[in-house]
Amino acid sequence: MNAVKTIFRNPPLLTFVLVALVWLVASLTLRGFGAYGHLRYLLELAAVIGIAAAGQTLVILMGGIDLSVGAVITVTAILLPLISPAWDPTGLVGIASALAIATGIGFLNGAGAAYLRVPPIIMTLAMATFLQGLLVIVAGGSAVTVSNPAVILLGQSRPLGIPSGVLLWLAVSAVVLVLIHRMPIGARFLAIGANPLAARLSGVSLPRNTLILYALSGFFAGLAGILVLGMNRQGYVGIGDPYLLTSIAAVVLGGTSILGGRGTYAGTIPGAILLVTTTALITVVNASPGWRSIMFGTLILALLLISGREARR
Amino acid sequence: MSSVSSPTWLYGAIQRRRNRGLGGLYLVVAAFLVLYVVLFPGILSVGGFSKFTQNWFPLALVTMAQALLMLNGGITLAIGPLVSLGAVIAATTMESVFGVPGGIVAVAFTGLAIGAVIGAIVAHLRLPAIIVTLAGSFIITGVALILLPRPGGFIPDWLSNTLAGHTPVAFLLLVVVLLLWKAFLATPLGLGIYAAGDNPVGAFRSGVRVERAKIAAFALSGLLTALAGLFVAAQTGSGDPVIGAPFTLNSIAAAVLGGVGFLGGKGTMRGAICGSLLLSVMINVMFFLGFPPVAQYLAQGLIIVGAVAVPELLKSWRARR
Repeated sequence: MNAVKTIFRNPPLLTFVLVALVWLVASLTLRGFGAYGHLRYLLELAAVIGIAAAGQTLVILMGGIDLSVGAVITVTAILLPLISPAWDPTGLVGIASALAIATGIGFLNGAGAAYLRVPPIIMTLAMATFLQGLLVIVAGGSAVTVSNPAVILLGQSRPLGIPSGVLLWLAVSAVVLVLIHRMPIGARFLAIGANPLAARLSGVSLPRNTLILYALSGFFAGLAGILVLGMNRQGYVGIGDPYLLTSIAAVVLGGTSILGGRGTYAGTIPGAILLVTTTALITVVNASPGWRSIMFGTLILALLLISGREARR
Repeated sequence: MSSVSSPTWLYGAIQRRRNRGLGGLYLVVAAFLVLYVVLFPGILSVGGFSKFTQNWFPLALVTMAQALLMLNGGITLAIGPLVSLGAVIAATTMESVFGVPGGIVAVAFTGLAIGAVIGAIVAHLRLPAIIVTLAGSFIITGVALILLPRPGGFIPDWLSNTLAGHTPVAFLLLVVVLLLWKAFLATPLGLGIYAAGDNPVGAFRSGVRVERAKIAAFALSGLLTALAGLFVAAQTGSGDPVIGAPFTLNSIAAAVLGGVGFLGGKGTMRGAICGSLLLSVMINVMFFLGFPPVAQYLAQGLIIVGAVAVPELLKSWRARR
């Protein structure tokens, strides 16, 4: 009994248990679901959501929200093939400049939220609209194929049988967890999310941390964009759109409060896996797009009831 | 003596506080309207005025729906899908034996019911509104796609001509809706929606049933959104399961342009309506000036940020002086 109580009080653990249960039941009932290759594929898909949601987790912990994640992923995926210089055989220069652009976009979001005092939800939505227009000018609506070797290596290679996307996700997870829980700056983020006024009066600089956070969110979205590009080998307008909602849903499913100040990336990790599993299960059921959409919404709602509830105030 | 006059004084002070910052907005809206008239004098004719207000009407309705929730401390990301669903239901039910009245009742009932269910989930199960409406938008989109997989359906011609013809019926309807809102605000429930958004604990202790006010806000918001969908269907003459998509962002932007805050209780409905008018005029001007759609995206992003940022910057600049 006590063990059950502990699980329900610990959202990240609860979400992990949910994932384990769903995988167990699905493996026993659906042929092919439990195969190593299929589970590995699910993790590979979850890596993209997980990396995009890393930035989202940080921003939401601080009490903000980033609605430009999808647009930044699209921008990176389309710009990277275009800006990778031909003289660089490793392709690392292209990756670095694409990440710099993504970070810059996030920085602009942060500047708008911190100095222009635009509410983050509006600032990032407007940024997404702006980028959407910019992309049509740059790419003209056609898909671009990637030939950057480093990106293809990232998206396709499997050292020791583990997809490198998953390895990248592991690295990102370690960095973000240390950042939030073991570094002073993480404590500052949480303090701002819990009570901005008290944080400011205690000497935490609001504009500075806002800038850092949104820049980080842009950086992680850019990283996710590069991974998606490597897995698809093609970038096109709209490639990042699905990741906006899923990145927010993964954060909330992991038990992080959408109001900020409470939560951890440790919950977002199983949250991302849970989302991908849900989508995979819905695809197995042979249904029309309408029914699939209904099932997805209902399942997210049901999962939220288990792990995403706000405390009574 | 003072005990009699003090409520009036208090009322005046509160009204002044609520109107603070709206003066600048009125000026900007007026300036844009003048620009519009100079560029396109056609708006001054009955037909031109009708067309202009018809473009504005659905945005005004969804902005009211969004502002209503934001005043209550909530938000909805399901505006676009619900507009689509309203349009789809209108286009699929008006052929039946109940005809147009049946269709209107079906749309209104759907909006109210979906809103009430979302409100009940948010209020009683304590889930954040932004996520519930996000998940809800998938479900609503799915229902619309099942009812009408591709654009089509049927809207009687006379209905399209009445609502979206050469007469300013849409504008009159908007005036009626605004008068109804004014009357609703005078009821305990209407005031409760405001109060619960401003200070839930205080409202609860003053006898407002906060949960019921929240459900009512979501239900009314759903009703307004679905009716906007009905109008869009009449305007286009058919139903389309994805036609509402741009309304989600535009409703939030218009409400914020109109000075409605995200935390509840801050802002006014007249401000939100002005915000929707401003956005509608800007979109129209860009369209008629022949901006390519791409430039419209760029300009819209810049204008929204600018319109929100400039008053804030002015405020902090004044405070520093």
